[in-house]
Amino acid sequence: MTDKSSKYSKNYKLSITNPKIFEALKLVISILIGLALTFVILCFVSKDPFNAFITILTGPLKKTRYIGSVIESFIPYAFAGLAAGVLFKSGAFNLGAEGIFIISGVAIAAVAVADITSSFILHPFICILVGALVGGVLMCIPSLLKAKFNTNEMVVSLMLNSIYSAVSVYIVRTYMRDVGSLIATKEYAASARIGYLYEPLRINICLVILLICMVILSVVLKKTRLGYQIRLVGTNPQFSEYSGINSFKLSITTALISGVLCGIGAACHLLSQTAQYQPDKTLSGIGFSGMLLAMLGHNNPIGIVIASFFIKYLEEGTKVLYFVDTSVPSEIVSIVEGVIILLISSQYFLRGFRERKLLKEGLEKDGK
Amino acid sequence: MGDTILKLDKVTKVYPNGTVANRDINMEFEKGEIHSIVGENGAGKSTLMKMIFGIEAPSSGTITYKGEERHFASSMDAIKVGIGMVHQHFMLIPSFSVVDNIVLGDETTKGIFIDQKEAVRKTQELSDKYNFELDVTAKVSTLSVAKRQKVEILKTLYRNAELIILDEPTSVLTPQETEKLFDQLRQFKAQGHTILFISHKLDEVKKISDRISVIRNGVSKGTYRNEDLTMEQLTNLIIGRDLENDMDEYKTHKDFNNEKALVVRNLFMEHNDKPVLDDVSFAVKRGEILGVAGVEGNGQIDLVKCISGLQKIKYSGSIEISGDDVTQFNVKKRRDVGMAYIPEDRMNDGIAGELPISDNLISSYFERQDINNKLFMDGKAIQELSNDLIDKFAVKTDSAETSVNSLSGGNIQKVVVAREWNTSPNLMIAEQPTHGIDIGSAEFVHHRLIDLRNEGTGILLVSADLNEVMDLSDRIIVMFNGKIAAYFKDANNVTEQELGMYMLGAKAQTKEEIGGALND
Repeated sequence: MTDKSSKYSKNYKLSITNPKIFEALKLVISILIGLALTFVILCFVSKDPFNAFITILTGPLKKTRYIGSVIESFIPYAFAGLAAGVLFKSGAFNLGAEGIFIISGVAIAAVAVADITSSFILHPFICILVGALVGGVLMCIPSLLKAKFNTNEMVVSLMLNSIYSAVSVYIVRTYMRDVGSLIATKEYAASARIGYLYEPLRINICLVILLICMVILSVVLKKTRLGYQIRLVGTNPQFSEYSGINSFKLSITTALISGVLCGIGAACHLLSQTAQYQPDKTLSGIGFSGMLLAMLGHNNPIGIVIASFFIKYLEEGTKVLYFVDTSVPSEIVSIVEGVIILLISSQYFLRGFRERKLLKEGLEKDGK
Repeated sequence: MGDTILKLDKVTKVYPNGTVANRDINMEFEKGEIHSIVGENGAGKSTLMKMIFGIEAPSSGTITYKGEERHFASSMDAIKVGIGMVHQHFMLIPSFSVVDNIVLGDETTKGIFIDQKEAVRKTQELSDKYNFELDVTAKVSTLSVAKRQKVEILKTLYRNAELIILDEPTSVLTPQETEKLFDQLRQFKAQGHTILFISHKLDEVKKISDRISVIRNGVSKGTYRNEDLTMEQLTNLIIGRDLENDMDEYKTHKDFNNEKALVVRNLFMEHNDKPVLDDVSFAVKRGEILGVAGVEGNGQIDLVKCISGLQKIKYSGSIEISGDDVTQFNVKKRRDVGMAYIPEDRMNDGIAGELPISDNLISSYFERQDINNKLFMDGKAIQELSNDLIDKFAVKTDSAETSVNSLSGGNIQKVVVAREWNTSPNLMIAEQPTHGIDIGSAEFVHHRLIDLRNEGTGILLVSADLNEVMDLSDRIIVMFNGKIAAYFKDANNVTEQELGMYMLGAKAQTKEEIGGALND
């Protein structure tokens, strides 16, 4: 045995029969089909489909303000995506991110409006910490109920979404409401706001936190014993039980991580993009989008962040297009997103192609 | 002989993971013959049958039935033209009566209602015609395995099957029950049915067949008349080489001071108010293999679950693994005191299919120091360890990064065995360790188990394969109805027939005799 570590390690063929290359190819083709479909729709609704298409793709790059808007707005979505990705990776069908975002928003806002410190560093930090804590604890409830009462995680988490958003509205309306007609909190203290590190591109500390979270999560999933257990449970829970893994402890840990990410995401959104919190508006939809982004990014932290940026970029593109051509509805992005996710998550898409290739390879290999 | 009823021409099947299950198979089946298809586990017999029965579509080649080329979209199409199949694992609904199971999908109706009376009459008539001795109104769940098999056969006859495929029909039967089945098959033949008999038990094949087709590695090795083949020729055709079969020579005998690897005392368990385990006591010594024989479903599965710590149902009694009372321990703690376990259901319990081989080789001890740094797992050490195990256990793969479910059954089992072997266990639970894998891999697994035994591991071997139990074990216990029905101090002094009697419950030993399982 000369060099054992490399003997069975790097033996990849650059062929569609390699599952990783197949997945990558599938992703690229899915995106191309999604974009092609956009063009087809544009042909129907726009007078100048070709230019409209180009505007969607390149519009955000035309002004730093546009690309800055993408950078700022994709962050909470990326957090939501990471949160969903961790849960999905561990095989938990917990769809609670939506509610967690909304209810941790209440806690964050409560700290943000309070005059606890005038430090521009400490105040946001405490807000984020509180959000992470509330999010983390509350996200564990479906897993706890599942372990103790054998309830269905998905049902419980969806119910909790409704409960959390109703409770949030109740708390804000009863205890935190600002004078005025909206169901909204007072404006946050100036010290709680998160400012820009580089204003033209609207880069703030949240982006740094996101990238740190992404890297940490990536490393945890790939390199640590925790990540190994998450992979095992996510792929085959019965096998992980046989291997002696404590699945309850693990499900609580992953829910905790996921909830913390939701809380941080909520805090980033509130403190950088809003002045007051409206529980029935401000954060709604982010948690659910996160699940789609997790699917789009294949539950891979880096993939999820890229996917979030990509989708927000296209959204910005349609907004830019709207300035010049009001005939194109901005919902067009949702169509593209939907089509791409459908294609990526489809087990059958491109399978026939791969199987024919395998057939040929198999016959050649065995034909000796 | 008669006319050709079924003809396969260059039939090839490639699975999506790249496995070529069948390649250019040419075969002809004549009307009114018993035609056996033999080959090792994993040689491609089942796939071929699935194609004939319309469950799988051939990747290329043609299937001609009664002179017409057929492209079955599903098994319904095959059933319509008169092909029936009895699967190895029965496809029955236990809570339904025999009649309901048989007419399901093909009910005689009166208006919009099922004509129950007519259904019972027709089914009973059919059962009597073939001497099945079945009460067709009984619930399937109350029937024995052999009777359930009859229900399956009756199901195909009810749909006027002329060609009946039996996939490993004897694997769930005792020797005595097998005899009865064979009488039945000869009767079918006399009435003009064609039987396709799939098996890997050669003595049975020799006994029942008119003609025999051999498949090796997915390729047909020809069709022969039974009388033209000797047993040796047949074995050679199937394996392509001679097999060294005497495991006793491989065993060494060291003294381990009668130390016990496993002690089980007075295990009782009930499920749905029925006793599943009934006062089970035995011990496995270091350096021995204790075989547990028995027809499937007589408590072996629950016994293993109790010992491995995976039992969800409450049980009483005590379990000791190498001196530690582990009755209250979870799986991890039991593994920590030296338990290893090769599970029967390897696809669900034994591997995480989509993960790479390397991940699957460390799961039972992923926290162990040699593959971990403080914070991270040591990727390089894992890589080396994986490559080492792949070499040692001759797992056929290009890369340790290949997902484990793209391997063949035999290689998957080698991964499982390699992993459990690498825990250097005190107690190894081997549950159906060679079920459904090719002979080469099976032999390999057997040798590794004996290696462990020779080095002082106590091995609990649970298997429905009598030959495996008799070849490997030092001592044998037989389970029947949740009890230990018999204990044999010396596995070499037992015959298959004798075991069969105890497995069927036709005989039982006294308490004193059975007590030896614990005390010897």
